[in-house]
Amino acid sequence: MELREIISTGNDLAAIAAVDAGCMFFGGYPITPSSEVMHTISDLLPAAGGAAIQMEDEIAGIAAAAGAAMSGVRSMTATSGPGVSLKAENLGLAQMAEVPLVLVNVMRGGPSTGLPTRVSQGDVRQARNPSHGDYRSITLCAGNLAECYTEVVRAFNLADRFMQPVIVLTDETIGHMHGKAMIPTVEEVKKGIVPRKTFEGAPEDYRPYGVGADEAAVLNPMFKGYRYHFTGLHHDAKGFPTEEIETCRKLIQRLEDKVMMHTDEIELNEEFMLDDFDGSEGEVLIVAYGSVSLAAKEAIRHLRKDGIKAGLFRPITLWPSPAKRMGELVRATKNVLCVELNIRQYTEEVERVSGRLDLEGLYKVNGRAISPYEIVNKVKEVF
Amino acid sequence: MARTLMRFTGVGGQGVLLAGEIFAEAKITAGGYGLKTATYTSQVRGGPTVVDITLDDEEIFYPYANDGEIDFMLSVAQVSFDLFKNGVSQGGTIVIDPALITPSQADRDKWNIVEIPIITIAKEEVGLVLTQSVIALSIANTFVDAIEAEHLKSVMLSKVPKKVHEANLKAFELGTKYAKEAMEKLAQNA
Repeated sequence: MELREIISTGNDLAAIAAVDAGCMFFGGYPITPSSEVMHTISDLLPAAGGAAIQMEDEIAGIAAAAGAAMSGVRSMTATSGPGVSLKAENLGLAQMAEVPLVLVNVMRGGPSTGLPTRVSQGDVRQARNPSHGDYRSITLCAGNLAECYTEVVRAFNLADRFMQPVIVLTDETIGHMHGKAMIPTVEEVKKGIVPRKTFEGAPEDYRPYGVGADEAAVLNPMFKGYRYHFTGLHHDAKGFPTEEIETCRKLIQRLEDKVMMHTDEIELNEEFMLDDFDGSEGEVLIVAYGSVSLAAKEAIRHLRKDGIKAGLFRPITLWPSPAKRMGELVRATKNVLCVELNIRQYTEEVERVSGRLDLEGLYKVNGRAISPYEIVNKVKEVF
Repeated sequence: MARTLMRFTGVGGQGVLLAGEIFAEAKITAGGYGLKTATYTSQVRGGPTVVDITLDDEEIFYPYANDGEIDFMLSVAQVSFDLFKNGVSQGGTIVIDPALITPSQADRDKWNIVEIPIITIAKEEVGLVLTQSVIALSIANTFVDAIEAEHLKSVMLSKVPKKVHEANLKAFELGTKYAKEAMEKLAQNA
């Protein structure tokens, strides 16, 4: 794939990615540490023929973005943890009504207003189920500057493919760090875009939710003659509210299956320095994601110099989790260390997929990054 | 080149962020790797701010400077100096503005403390207080010798508005001049 060099911040890269991926609308409300996503996209979108609106609050921001998405365009909002809490209700609506949109969450310390300017991964569990009810969140997590770009592009493609919100998690460290990123060219990004499915038959035959058991809804752009009813209630093939037993069951089962039967299209991981792992004594597998993986990689360099065979498994798609591959690796390696800027939010998933309850952990929740040395020391202490 | 770690500290609103971006970009455009991170508080102005700059020929993953490994720090606020000085390695250089920071004897024993009146130079010799970040940039580069000066200058000019190019060029030259004088003084005392 053809790459280009860009010197930028994670937040700016997320905004640039959205525009390159064909996003035409941004609705949001600024919040530290995500505000630069909105600042930058507000500059870029009008020039690209789109629009960015600062709404009266976070709730209206996502509501506007969802409305734009229903008109057929790619649409985004960006925020931080407290904003996700406010947007949760509309995320649920978008899950139920199958509205594709992208939400970027630049994580900061929580709960509540927490530590506004400081780094955290405290929203990982929230991203799995931001709103009530049964549905499967798709959550991607950028682990370096380049991925602030590539994961936002991928989020737009997944949103259109699966017709639902896709969350991209970054954090204060990656959002604000400034450096070099090698990213795909705009042409490469355009080549990868598969337009959202539309129904081309007679308008009276249009059944947006009358799709196969593991398929996403086919929502034609509004105001083009294809009418359907839009609701958060359980609904029938045309979108009208219903309490019919089988229709209700099938609808919610479809929201589950449209994602879980196609996880191969969603899953993405990085395996760093795992090539020489063969299950021998003394190997150390670190599981980390997002900005923490940067410290983990640096730590692995130090550990390898000290003769310790260490490697990293990094999920890039956090939800649904890479259950098969992560489970295999964790079961095959005796010494496993999970490192997170929260308390065990993803460790519990690693435990679930591996069936192991003896994993070591390094957790930090004071708004400060975990340094490579803290990881090195922890590895030497516990293994 | 081994890894170079620099730290610029001040308080919110002083514009210490820009120097970091210029350094990172200059190193990258010269063919290496550079990262800048900023840590700040939720106070809009007046909160302690720290900018870490990492430059290397090899890929850099972790973007913050590890405490105790910083080669060079520059500080223009007492609160930030006190908070962040311990990141500097023993014998490392800390440039301070003597009008704003009073180091203790213990500080002078541990580090190579260099006094340059950065804010006064910006205000009185350049006539534009905003140029302090460019003065700081050229002081830091003179001490650390990380980037070829002409290249750093051209990247700097690409990051500041045209109407202040002249003032910033003057600031750059003054920073180099003051840093060289301070280095000569250090060499004489050594």
